[in-house]
Amino acid sequence: MSSFNPYTQNGGTILAIAGADFSVVAGDTRQSEGYNIQTRYAPKVFRLTDRAVLAVNGFAADGNMFVKKVKQRLEWYRHAHAKDMPLRSIARLIQTMLYSRRFFPYYVYNILGGIEEDGSGAVYSFDPVGSYERETCRAAGPAQSLLQPFLDNQIYFKNQQPAPGMSHPTHLPLQAVLALVIDSFTSATERHIEVGDGLEMYIILGKGRGLQGLEGVKGVQELTISEDGERIFVVRRELKKD
Amino acid sequence: MFLTRSEYDRGVNTFSPEGRLFQVEYAIEAIKLGSTTVGVRTNEGVVLAVEKRVQSPLLESSSIEKIMEIDTHLGCAMSGLTADARMMIDHARVTAQNHAFTYDERIKVESVTQAVCDLALRFGESVHDEEALMSRPFGVALLIAGIDELGPQLYHTDPSGTFMRYEAKAIGSGSEAAQSELQDKWYRRMSLLEAQKLTLRVLKQVMEEKLDHHNVQLAQVTPEKGFEILDEVRLKEIIDAM
Amino acid sequence: MNSLIQRFAGSSSGIELQKRNATVVDDDGELSDVMWGSMAGFGSLAKGVPTFTVPSVPDPAAFLRLHTDDHADPSCRIKIQHGTTTLAFRYQGGVIVAVDSRATAGNYIASGTVKKVIEINPYLLGTMAGGAADCQFWETYLGMHCRLHELRNHERISVSAASKYLSNLVYSYKGMGLSMGTMICGWDKTGPAIFYVDSDGTRLRGDLFSVGSGSTFAYGVLDQGYRWDLTDEEAQELGRRSIYAAGHRDAFSGNSCNLYHVKERGWEFIGNYDINKLHYDGPGNGQGYGYEVRVEGKTSAVAA
Repeated sequence: MSSFNPYTQNGGTILAIAGADFSVVAGDTRQSEGYNIQTRYAPKVFRLTDRAVLAVNGFAADGNMFVKKVKQRLEWYRHAHAKDMPLRSIARLIQTMLYSRRFFPYYVYNILGGIEEDGSGAVYSFDPVGSYERETCRAAGPAQSLLQPFLDNQIYFKNQQPAPGMSHPTHLPLQAVLALVIDSFTSATERHIEVGDGLEMYIILGKGRGLQGLEGVKGVQELTISEDGERIFVVRRELKKD
Repeated sequence: MFLTRSEYDRGVNTFSPEGRLFQVEYAIEAIKLGSTTVGVRTNEGVVLAVEKRVQSPLLESSSIEKIMEIDTHLGCAMSGLTADARMMIDHARVTAQNHAFTYDERIKVESVTQAVCDLALRFGESVHDEEALMSRPFGVALLIAGIDELGPQLYHTDPSGTFMRYEAKAIGSGSEAAQSELQDKWYRRMSLLEAQKLTLRVLKQVMEEKLDHHNVQLAQVTPEKGFEILDEVRLKEIIDAM
Repeated sequence: MNSLIQRFAGSSSGIELQKRNATVVDDDGELSDVMWGSMAGFGSLAKGVPTFTVPSVPDPAAFLRLHTDDHADPSCRIKIQHGTTTLAFRYQGGVIVAVDSRATAGNYIASGTVKKVIEINPYLLGTMAGGAADCQFWETYLGMHCRLHELRNHERISVSAASKYLSNLVYSYKGMGLSMGTMICGWDKTGPAIFYVDSDGTRLRGDLFSVGSGSTFAYGVLDQGYRWDLTDEEAQELGRRSIYAAGHRDAFSGNSCNLYHVKERGWEFIGNYDINKLHYDGPGNGQGYGYEVRVEGKTSAVAA
């Protein structure tokens, strides 16, 4: 069979962390193919609604098209049912959309982050054919084996003993999470050729939570559209370009 | 009611010169031959009651099924050509399950009502990409009761494919007298128990036979227990208390 | 009857899918006009057994294998998560279902917190081994059908019927690359029941099964300790111990053990046990499962 090879790998890395009442979804902006950098700015993280953000990584063409299709289905749902899709419904929808291509998969690793109906931060991660799970944090992409162990230690406190008489917090505050995300990406950039150029972090805040944790952060841009209560921001940073 | 039988009332898909679809209107008339069915909505839940119309003492009254469950939070009562309703209710059940499967959430009452009404006009000849289900309009009206995030709701559907939301509605042979009684006696802050008594009282007025726990059936949807058809013991208690 | 056969027996399903796809211009069948409302979406029952988009190549199954099968070719691009030791056995007190929680994508441990027991409905459980997406998707789909059966027939579906439905369903995709080895467990009119169903079309009723890469290790412990008249505590301990053994010795299994017990009134989640903790401390009230406990204090050194 003459090889039909419609797939390629476009590099980059994505990461999402859920807090008690917020979520952070981040991705670098480098798109490469083998040893070539195709562009320094190709976003991988997209706002779906004011409370859901989808990050896609793997084959960029499949990723971009998949995001478009998800957005279409969200719009149809809005017209049919007169409400926004709750986050866990978006997660299940993504499963059925990915699985419909079980025999010709989307080569995309998805991470969905946002605020659930009960106000808690949530992260859902998917494999290319649709199996999914709700988690507190997840990294995906070529540098995932560099980032995930670091996050396991810093977020889940794996292999760390708490101080005597204390226990590990179940959720970290926003400031700490943002610092971890930036450190993760700068470190990954140092040690992986496909990561670098720029970092985009989307921050989704639950209703009534206020902006604590975002003061002092430079370059915060608000993307909130509706008045429902959840707010969504994006912060961009430079990463090394070599 | 229709004193003139014009030439336009034979063809299922033919408009009359005044712009009426006679077959659909005649289908609505067919419901007036059916057994009386009453639905009342309160803030605690929705109550549905049907007259079973037991034709003979040899008839096993428990086999008459005029109230059916659509899902744990949805149920409906029918009046008219009840055999037609089986198709509609199965469609409603399949729609509700599909929605739960695709979106991991319970379907809205209005959405399932819309899905049932989408079937109403699929009669006549098949079009290229849409199969006609029946050669004639459905001859049954449904009262769909359910609970969703907007609270308890009651909808009425008829063969024309329109649906309306009601606080209290009666359909079937005794519907005119029943509806005016409901208009008199219904008030906004009614409790579930009072609604049960009201529906039974209304049925008692319009039924020819004496009302007992064999020739009526009562069902309710509440946030705590979802949809349930009351068993004979509970029904008897409520009737005795009247 | 013919339509049943047409829908559920599909040895030439691959070719049939090709033909169907040849006439479809828009590859998203889910987006037809009528279907945009409540019936939209993949897996919609109104359209019968789901049809999949398949690449227009002469041998679609080989294409899928080339790009996703990491057993044959570890350097393939698309790494699908696989799940790995599951077991279930039935005894006088019901059914015990025990699974590990590790998911691997190639040699990377993708997750240590996967839920490999799928709660189909309050009295039926399905386990996950093989492709995680295949098991998750089809077992949720099965749950939808079991609920419809209940609504239409005023009676719960039997474990036998539920497993038959699943097995017929995956049979129509036989040879196309699905990977699923599941046990459908429940308690119905015939008592506790377990059916093993896999993507080759096998369906077997039995008293005791273990599925996955670590199943051989689990069988070692399970076969030795199994009796019909175990007490509830003994049965749960046996399930836990078997998964521990598999997690300890199989590289692709581990992290933690999830334990479920199916009783007459439905299933009950017993607990989640960290396998590393089980090694040193046991399930909480006593000895660790690891052999350190049994060799403590003893030494092979010659006394001076």
